[in-house]
Amino acid sequence: MSEGTYTQLLDLACGAFLLAAVVVLWQRKLTAIVRTFALQGVALAALPFLLGLHEARGELIAVAAGIGVLRTGVLPYLMRRALDSLVPAPVTGAGHRYVENVSEAWETQPLVNVAASLLTAALLTLLAYAVARPLVLLGPAPATRALPVGLAVMLIGFFVLSTRRRALAQVVGFLLLDNGITATAFLAASGVPLIVELGVSFDVVLAVLVLQILTTRMRTAFGTTDIDDLRELHD
Amino acid sequence: MNPVGSALGAAAGLAGCGALAGLLPRHRARTVLAGVCTAGTGAAGAAAGIAACAGDRWSLVLPGVLPLSGLHLAVDGLSGPFLTTAGIVIAAVALYGTGYVRPAGTGESARGVQTVLPLFALTLLLVPAAASVSAFLMLWELMALASLVLVLAGHRERSAVREAGVWYAVMTHLGLVLLLAGLARFAAGAGGQTFTDLRAGAAGLPGGVRSAVFVLTTVAFASKAGAVPLHVWLPRAHPEAPSHVSALMSAAMVHLGLYGIVRVGFDLLGGGPRWWWLALMGAGGLSAVYGMLQAAMASDLKRLLACSTSENTGLMLIGVGAAGLFADAHHEELAALALAAALLHMVNHSAFKALLFCAAGSVLRATGLRDLDRMGGLRARMPLTAGLFAVGALGAVALPPGNGFVSEWLLLQSLIHGLAVPGEVTSIVLPLAFAVIALSAGLAAAVFVKALGVGFFARPRSDRAAGAEESPPAMLAGMVLLAVCCAALALVPGLLGPALDRAVAVAGFRHGASLSGTGIQAQLDGVSARLSPLWVVAALTAATAAAAGLPRLVRRRPRRTRARLWDCGGGAPTPRMAYTATSFAEPLQRVFDDVVAPEQDVDVTPVRESAYLVERVRYRQRVPDRLEHRLYRPVLAGLSHVGAAARRLANGSAHLYVGYGFCGLVTVLLALAVGW
Repeated sequence: MSEGTYTQLLDLACGAFLLAAVVVLWQRKLTAIVRTFALQGVALAALPFLLGLHEARGELIAVAAGIGVLRTGVLPYLMRRALDSLVPAPVTGAGHRYVENVSEAWETQPLVNVAASLLTAALLTLLAYAVARPLVLLGPAPATRALPVGLAVMLIGFFVLSTRRRALAQVVGFLLLDNGITATAFLAASGVPLIVELGVSFDVVLAVLVLQILTTRMRTAFGTTDIDDLRELHD
Repeated sequence: MNPVGSALGAAAGLAGCGALAGLLPRHRARTVLAGVCTAGTGAAGAAAGIAACAGDRWSLVLPGVLPLSGLHLAVDGLSGPFLTTAGIVIAAVALYGTGYVRPAGTGESARGVQTVLPLFALTLLLVPAAASVSAFLMLWELMALASLVLVLAGHRERSAVREAGVWYAVMTHLGLVLLLAGLARFAAGAGGQTFTDLRAGAAGLPGGVRSAVFVLTTVAFASKAGAVPLHVWLPRAHPEAPSHVSALMSAAMVHLGLYGIVRVGFDLLGGGPRWWWLALMGAGGLSAVYGMLQAAMASDLKRLLACSTSENTGLMLIGVGAAGLFADAHHEELAALALAAALLHMVNHSAFKALLFCAAGSVLRATGLRDLDRMGGLRARMPLTAGLFAVGALGAVALPPGNGFVSEWLLLQSLIHGLAVPGEVTSIVLPLAFAVIALSAGLAAAVFVKALGVGFFARPRSDRAAGAEESPPAMLAGMVLLAVCCAALALVPGLLGPALDRAVAVAGFRHGASLSGTGIQAQLDGVSARLSPLWVVAALTAATAAAAGLPRLVRRRPRRTRARLWDCGGGAPTPRMAYTATSFAEPLQRVFDDVVAPEQDVDVTPVRESAYLVERVRYRQRVPDRLEHRLYRPVLAGLSHVGAAARRLANGSAHLYVGYGFCGLVTVLLALAVGW
């Protein structure tokens, strides 16, 4: 693979990665958000794959495969299962019936509306580029030049976490944050040691499992997954 | 191998065994094993201290124990007296503690307490052996934490214990913060954190930094020593802790505050300007008078003893301050004398205060009472405990033949001869200090007459006091050991002369030899005052014996007849009519009315439809700690106000909390971006 192709493919993957994060902000339907997250996983897995091809490192390609399975397969599957248990499929044949849990499937009222969210995402991306400037100057390579994308996705993930109401949207925000961290690690240092990567992935799976159970419990206890209703626990 | 090192090693090993023994399931075996191991720890520590007093030096560096810095330990002449007294007190108190158990494994005899006690004992021994800032701070904090756990032993039974624990925890950690700041600044300025580096670098520090270090560390050490106005934790924590723990805290831990001041002020900083020492003397004088006044008002026996601890540390601080003052005027001989007097008073206070707290614990165990007003008549029921308490009280009142007398006499001598130092300040401050010591000594006499007379003599004023029984032999043995120490200190304080000279030499005064001679004479070289405690005691004993015995010899023994006491026709006098602690202190309270400001409340309930016939009169009196009200309450109120206002920040919304984090992160990144 020539240097030019490598750079173009890397930039494409990073662009898709950032775009997916922005699309998460734009979407309102939870199933679509989960689907976008899975697509972002593909873009994320492409990063170590490209790096591994370019530097001819077999273990990076293996890591890419692992990340692909985890972020495009396992995690979206777990979230979709949680979503299905929250929103029972409409009974066919009784189409007139009002679907009771329609609001559970939608992020109807985020704390910051969609237009403002998109603007904020643009600002956060600018901030990420501004902050990462000295890092890029340290070693200007195609991978390090794409470094701000990882930071931007991290910030956007944090933003999702703090403005979305539905518990599942929050889970996606948390995972965006984690995707951003992983991408930053790959772009800055061609990945962390394998054992750390394994540990982090394991952590993420566990966190999602716990959050999934928590979401279901919330639903049975309060009839909703809007975490703004959880205000009892304070000093 | 060096005797100090092997003894301290043995102490550490025994303390570890004691802590493990404290975990045993069987209650009785646990108590005895842990107690014996703790006593062994104390004995080993005392052996190390005696070797250090005899002139042995020891140091050890364990590079792997503390990360980055390693653990530096060293024992020198100044550590010696503190190690020795702490060791002996630990040994005696641990022996006492083996008898001080309760049937159920709760409170004092709970597993946690018995595990922590040996560790607390070990930290008491190791703090004076620390030789670097990191080691000192770590051991200091371990000591504070261990003592906090022990103070909280009875938290399930009494809510006052929890309150005392909170006060103690807050005060000790504020002290730690100050200590950390002061010593860290010192180490940064001196370019190294071992005490050797500090000694070498202290002279090169600018004056402002030296003063800041001294003030920060001295405030921290003074709060540990219970000096007024940082004493508030002391009258709370000491009464609520189990009695053997109170004894350890009052007779060993509190003195480490004094050790810190001497170590940092004289040894590491090498002395300083006059105002340091004048401030220290001021704090000491305030503690001496105010502490004793609070003790005079107290009717809780253990609170009384705790307040008297404040007074005694005040006297020691006066001695240390005077030493600094004389050193500043280049009168090293006088400085050595004043410092030696302070250290000797520390030793004496350890002996009698440990004994008094143990005796108070025996009373508490036998009657369940700490309130002097409800005791009485204990002399007949607990004769040995009463006798031992009397020995301790004799030491505390600073009159011959008690052991406290020797050190206070020495302190007064140093102040009197200090008037030879020219200058207006000394001619004002020293007589004032003299008067303060005299006043506190007078108050001390009243306080301990009250404690002994009201608590142990007369007739019992409650059923519990009437049903008291003598303590078990282990407790008595521990107290006898302490009483023997008191007696030895009263009779032959000259034995301590060489040890005190070495300690004073570490503080930088080479012209020591204030207490010297044949072992029975405390004689002042260079100044003309002599005291031979042994002769004083002999003369007093002879005079007392003569006064008591001669009339009996000369007069014929009168015939003993039994008759009813004349009662003015008002019926037989009841125990309710006897002096109580409150009524005994009443005249003093009147004299110092403006200072203590007692709150009195008289509630008269007349019989219905008659203004003249009274059904019931209720009299209530409380003597609050006025300094606490004036100094601490406003601060606490302000803090809780701020806390209540800050509560609005946390309204329970998870979004808000995540939002705080997000905004924080973005702000930091923005600052970074703009900064570049």
